[in-house]
Amino acid sequence: MLKKDLILRSPAELAIGVENITDGHFGAVLSRAGVGKTGFLVQIGLTQLLSDEKILHISLDDPMEKINLRYDEAYASLVDSIGYVDPQKAVRLWESIKHNKVGISYTESTFDTDKIRDYLKSFKKADLTLPTILVIDGLDFDADLTEILEDLKQLNQEFSIAIWLSMKSHREEPLSQEGFPVQLANHEALVDKAIFLMPVDNKIEAVVLKDGDKTDQKFTLDPATMMPVE
Amino acid sequence: MIKDLKRVRNIGISAHIDSGKTTLTERILFYTDRIHKINEVRGKDGVGAVMDSMELEKERGITIASAATHTEWDNHGINIIDTPGHVDFTVEVERSLRVLDGAVLILCSVSGVQSQSITVDQQMKRYQVPCIAFVNKCDRSGANPIKVSEQLKEKLGHNSVMMQLPIGLEDKHEGVVDLVTMKAYYFEGDNGEKMVEKEIPEEMMDDAVMAREEMVDAASMFSEDLTDAILEEAEITVELIMDAVRTGTIARQMTPVFLGSAYKNKAVQPLLNAVVSYLPSPLDIENEAIDLDNNEESVILESDFDKPTVALAFKLEDGQYGQLTYIRVYQGGINKGDTLINSRDGKKVKAGRLIRMHSNQMEDVDSIPAGHIGAMFGIDCASGDTFVSPNINYSMIAMNVMEPVISLSITPKDNKAQINMSKALNRFTKEDPTFKTYVDHETGDTIIQGMGELHLEVYVERMKREYQAEVETGKPRVAYRETITRKAPYNYTHKKQTGGSGQFGRVLGFMEPCEEEFEFVNKVTGGRIPTQFISSCEKGFLACMAKGPNLEFPVTGIKVTLEDGAFHAVDSSEMAFQAAARGGFLEAYAKAKPVIMEPIMKVVIETPNEFQGACMGLINQRRGIIQGSQEEGVMSVVESQVPLSEMFGFSTVLRSGTQGKAQFTMEFSSYKQVPQSVAEEIAKNKAEEKAAKNK
Repeated sequence: MLKKDLILRSPAELAIGVENITDGHFGAVLSRAGVGKTGFLVQIGLTQLLSDEKILHISLDDPMEKINLRYDEAYASLVDSIGYVDPQKAVRLWESIKHNKVGISYTESTFDTDKIRDYLKSFKKADLTLPTILVIDGLDFDADLTEILEDLKQLNQEFSIAIWLSMKSHREEPLSQEGFPVQLANHEALVDKAIFLMPVDNKIEAVVLKDGDKTDQKFTLDPATMMPVE
Repeated sequence: MIKDLKRVRNIGISAHIDSGKTTLTERILFYTDRIHKINEVRGKDGVGAVMDSMELEKERGITIASAATHTEWDNHGINIIDTPGHVDFTVEVERSLRVLDGAVLILCSVSGVQSQSITVDQQMKRYQVPCIAFVNKCDRSGANPIKVSEQLKEKLGHNSVMMQLPIGLEDKHEGVVDLVTMKAYYFEGDNGEKMVEKEIPEEMMDDAVMAREEMVDAASMFSEDLTDAILEEAEITVELIMDAVRTGTIARQMTPVFLGSAYKNKAVQPLLNAVVSYLPSPLDIENEAIDLDNNEESVILESDFDKPTVALAFKLEDGQYGQLTYIRVYQGGINKGDTLINSRDGKKVKAGRLIRMHSNQMEDVDSIPAGHIGAMFGIDCASGDTFVSPNINYSMIAMNVMEPVISLSITPKDNKAQINMSKALNRFTKEDPTFKTYVDHETGDTIIQGMGELHLEVYVERMKREYQAEVETGKPRVAYRETITRKAPYNYTHKKQTGGSGQFGRVLGFMEPCEEEFEFVNKVTGGRIPTQFISSCEKGFLACMAKGPNLEFPVTGIKVTLEDGAFHAVDSSEMAFQAAARGGFLEAYAKAKPVIMEPIMKVVIETPNEFQGACMGLINQRRGIIQGSQEEGVMSVVESQVPLSEMFGFSTVLRSGTQGKAQFTMEFSSYKQVPQSVAEEIAKNKAEEKAAKNK
């Protein structure tokens, strides 16, 4: 019951829909530096954990401890957002689901899709349930990522794993004809869902740039917690 | 013996396995003229390093038991305890830290702060041991001592401060720049024994000035004089800096970082200078004992030769002249012929031959004064015993010892082995509190218990080599436990009338899960069960905890509440209520959803980056939960929690999966419920075993 309540409060549920998160190939969260891409990606991962799914969170910026800390804090924000919850119950739930997350920290030079493939293969070998999403935070979309994205696409198909990426945009860059930041426009065909975060009056506005019927919907989030503001 | 305690240092050398502890100790002994030839740990000469005195240690290239040795440098006496680096032998590390005043934490300049460094650091914190760091292996490819110093800050929370800069790294490592004296030091001669002072190379001057400023700034936190000198732009003398660094180090507020390469004979002498300059003397450390005659009040011990003696036995060895007991004297002193009391059992002992050890060579001495480490012959005692003068009854505070998590049955191959095995087990259990042994009365097997597969393996090997006791080993067994998961009531009447006086007792209440091993709550009112039988009920319940009703594993985490009952004026007895409690326990236990718990180990793998995915896969295949993975330079660290039962033979699998390039450490984390499928498998195996026994 608590799991359902928490999912319903999640900004990821609001903007994307929990079942929609794992559909398709690539999802992207875009914003300028420091607006909240990582926080939003963590909320996406959290909805999967609350759905008893496994996730793999790769960061090219944060060390392992920080990834874990981000999830701890995001869970706490989610719990706080629904008013009173028996604290012991909340802790027990987190203890039971947090082990379904594996955080891996790479540097840009050591990130290698083969290592991820090796790891995912071991699930199959041991007959274990595969993670449903792979979050990759910190890839530099100003560089040429064609090869990496091709590899990731193969992983997506081979292991039926949805891939969510962060894309850093820049204030001074003009938008494409469709109104997309250039980082998304360059890989438009690959990305099924895209959320753009921008600061507006001390809040964050999440705009669905790409996601079928949901496109162009807007939501307001609290910048400190990434929780929806009513 | 040096009487001026200001000139005595009792130090340990602690680090991750293969960081070069034994090599460094060997070099220290060479430079201090204790040995005249350097042997490598896994040298081609087959001799092995002096500090690895146990044959098995020499063969495996690891240090198992700590060897104490005494040496002298710059008019100071230094007692060195070489400690083991593998987690399975952590009790040895803890024991040596207990008797040390300071430590040198060795770190590898390539691998940096590794998992074992973290464990050792936690132990140092527990015993408040001040330390200096030595970043070793600066000659290796990928060496980066500055990064390692940063890791000390980030991973271990030390206020690490570089005291030296390297002159060249990897194969160009030539020496060090001392930031206190602002001189460059090079090490010449066949074994680097000639320390040559030169000016700092020009190209390094700017870096050295900047690093010195940082160091002086950090040190100034511990000295007003130094702060004043900086503010007044007065001359900053070497003495001012050294005093400040020493104060910060002893207060555990600062960790000075030194660097070099023990293997290549670079910068070991400056490290010895640092030991003497910055680590505390026995006078700088406050040691406590408990007064057993005074409500175990804590007493501060003084390194005063005239006070009553207090000494701790921290290590035992079986030598050709009988038991050798390593001791640290905290107060008073032990002279040849002194009568001492072992405060554990009150037995009188007479100090016979006293010696000072130099690894496996002995030097006879007449006394071991306070503040010193030495050894006694011919004393029968256990490790951790306290020896005191007859007029006091102090005990050094008990050491933190963990319960064993793995067991192995051993069977002697012949009669001779049987006798020797008993001798060996007797010795090992005295030496190592985490090593236990008992006889399984059902099978007649001798069972040994310990902290890991390697821990037990080493003892089996030692039985063979040191005691000529060849034993056959069974399969390692995990120490499973049983517990309950929900509250359940009991209402049981024990009633027997078989002629003569009968038996009657009734108990009523409930059991529920709890955090403690066992808890008993008596809520009986109005004399429904007479007071004299309440303790019988508790005994009856407690007796059931030893062997679970389902699978005969020990039961833990149960709180039993006794609410009501009944008795008979004639037929009730202690025995009847014990039996009633047993019946009540069985009744409630069956309804309380019992489960099996298994030990979960924290497993940390350190692997070259290319094998990271493969290592994570290996954990996945073992019911392991990966907590995360972190890349650090060329190496990756994979942290996980894995059931102990899945870890047997893991070292072989890891070796073959990573071309022998990865290593792992493992330590007990917690007990967790086993999944249903595994529980069924355990139950099936247990049933088969039982059937085989009954045949």
